[in-house]
Amino acid sequence: MRKIKDYILNAITYIASGISVLILGVLLVYLLVNGVKSINLKMFSDDYWAKNYLVEVDSDSRNFDSKYNGDDYYIKKYDIAIKDDDKEIVVTYIGENSQFNELKSLTVGDSLGMITPFDVGYKIESIEYLDSNGVISIGGVLLKHNAIEVAQILNENHVNSIYYQSTSGGIKASIINTLILIFVSLLIATPISICSAIYLNEYNSKNKFNQLLSVSIETLAGVPSIIYGLVGITVLFPVTQLFGATTTSVLLGALTMAVILLPTMIKATQVALAQVDQGLKDASLSLGATKVQTINKVVLPGAMNGILSGLLLCVSKVIGESAALVYTMGTFISDTPSLTNQGTSLSLMIYSIMSNDNPNFELACAISLIILVIVLVLNISVKLINYKFNKLGQR
Amino acid sequence: MNKLFSVSDVNLSYGDKHVLKDINIDLYKNKVTAFIGPSGCGKSTFLRCFNRMNDLIDSCKIDGTILMENKDIYNKKYDVVDLRTNVGMVFQKPNPFMMSIYENVAYGLKCSGIKDKKVLKQRVINALKQAALYDEVSTRLNDSALSLSGGQQQRLCIARAIAMKPEVILMDEPTSALDPIATAKIEELIEELKKDFTIIIVTHSMHQASRISDYTAFFLNGEIVEYDITKNIFQNPKDIRCENYITGRFG
Repeated sequence: MRKIKDYILNAITYIASGISVLILGVLLVYLLVNGVKSINLKMFSDDYWAKNYLVEVDSDSRNFDSKYNGDDYYIKKYDIAIKDDDKEIVVTYIGENSQFNELKSLTVGDSLGMITPFDVGYKIESIEYLDSNGVISIGGVLLKHNAIEVAQILNENHVNSIYYQSTSGGIKASIINTLILIFVSLLIATPISICSAIYLNEYNSKNKFNQLLSVSIETLAGVPSIIYGLVGITVLFPVTQLFGATTTSVLLGALTMAVILLPTMIKATQVALAQVDQGLKDASLSLGATKVQTINKVVLPGAMNGILSGLLLCVSKVIGESAALVYTMGTFISDTPSLTNQGTSLSLMIYSIMSNDNPNFELACAISLIILVIVLVLNISVKLINYKFNKLGQR
Repeated sequence: MNKLFSVSDVNLSYGDKHVLKDINIDLYKNKVTAFIGPSGCGKSTFLRCFNRMNDLIDSCKIDGTILMENKDIYNKKYDVVDLRTNVGMVFQKPNPFMMSIYENVAYGLKCSGIKDKKVLKQRVINALKQAALYDEVSTRLNDSALSLSGGQQQRLCIARAIAMKPEVILMDEPTSALDPIATAKIEELIEELKKDFTIIIVTHSMHQASRISDYTAFFLNGEIVEYDITKNIFQNPKDIRCENYITGRFG
């Protein structure tokens, strides 16, 4: 009878832990299936929004020592190759000495005559050229031309201007914004947290005020982050105005994030400080070191591994945060990251592209996958740091 | 004989717990004084009064006077950092810092503001020699102190204390975590050190007390029951409780 009871209880624990593993597995598989196709190296360096360029191209013939050996439509005159891709005409190859590396902008304004970027994956929209009768004609996607016709036009006629579009869907700006967010928020949160943790742990005589302080810090850790977002936009916005921000901005997001990190970081540092052997502190004091010297030379170095893993946990918290940042950073995906402008972190970018009229599900999954990988790497580093220091301590 | 410490009417309590009761004792210069007694009798607490380590405990309250060379060390004007430079301490568990052997010994000197590298090095080497450790570590001063054996670590802690050139070294059961060979080495070392330093040692082992100390004080329940020349204590104790303890009837 007792055996059966034990057996059932054991089975329940196995099933319970199995479920959590299953959930994680399903999540991973789901994201992999949906997102992995959209992940490519180019998305890390591309802008999110496509840009259009109107340019002129140098039509003088050049001699190329071309290495092209693909199956797409090769344009001998310019040493480039193009192909059809879902009603678009996409560039698949650009030679080293191609005239297309020196396209000059025809857009009126500051950029007139400047060399515009041109890369594999860009889409050729339309071409204005002189046909065999010397009449100005237009070719390209607009006239339902396909790649072979466009290649012919480019090869055989004098081209006046080309209108093309850069690739889109990149996450470069969001990555940079995320890094700015991490850097600024930790820059503010870390020194404050370490100092207050030292005060609470090392100087704290256990009076009512300090106990109240400890309790309030623990309560702060449990406040939903969206509330911090609301407070951030009302209280911290004036601070960012001093730095020239006129709307919600990455800086405001970082300040809010710093506030959110404070309780976590203080708690992590407190735990790390408490783990330092009292014997070492006693030894330091007994050698005539002052309290400050003891803290600087013995306590802090001894707590360093705990503080470091706290820092890494905070980094993953910043990467994962979205609710508080919707209010403070805005949800507009900007391709020009700057402290005082709106922008999105990676998580916010998911929110932003999924709340569009036509949500880009694949890209959202791809970003999620990237975030998961980063968080996983951070967690493993935390484990490694702890493992290393523990080994050092046991020696 | 020179009196170094003169303790009168010391009472100490942790919160409601009365740990030391009306302690009166004189301790002499360049002698080894041993405190013996069963666990929880207050001998370690009393030892920690001499370098005011009890100050670190919030609930600790101490009355009475402890004079060191006729100055009250619990006087507000007495700088506790000066006191601790003058009164070194070695703990029960070897507790070297997570630094190199050299840095461990130089730690106190650096904290006291000595920056001259030559002076530092000289004093570190002297301290290591005095602690009979130099020959074993001379080739690896930059290795981690944690790579030393337990006995070596404890001698490093002694070296660290004597590098400060204190007048007194307090030892709180310095050999209780060590094996017999390491213990013998430390006892030998104490014999050497008493030429230059006054040593106050708390020990659980009565044999150790009888081997190394000149004076012995027997503690029981926070009081000093008997204090005399070690030989007298062990050969003809006057108090029956002391005799019972020494002969192993309790403790």
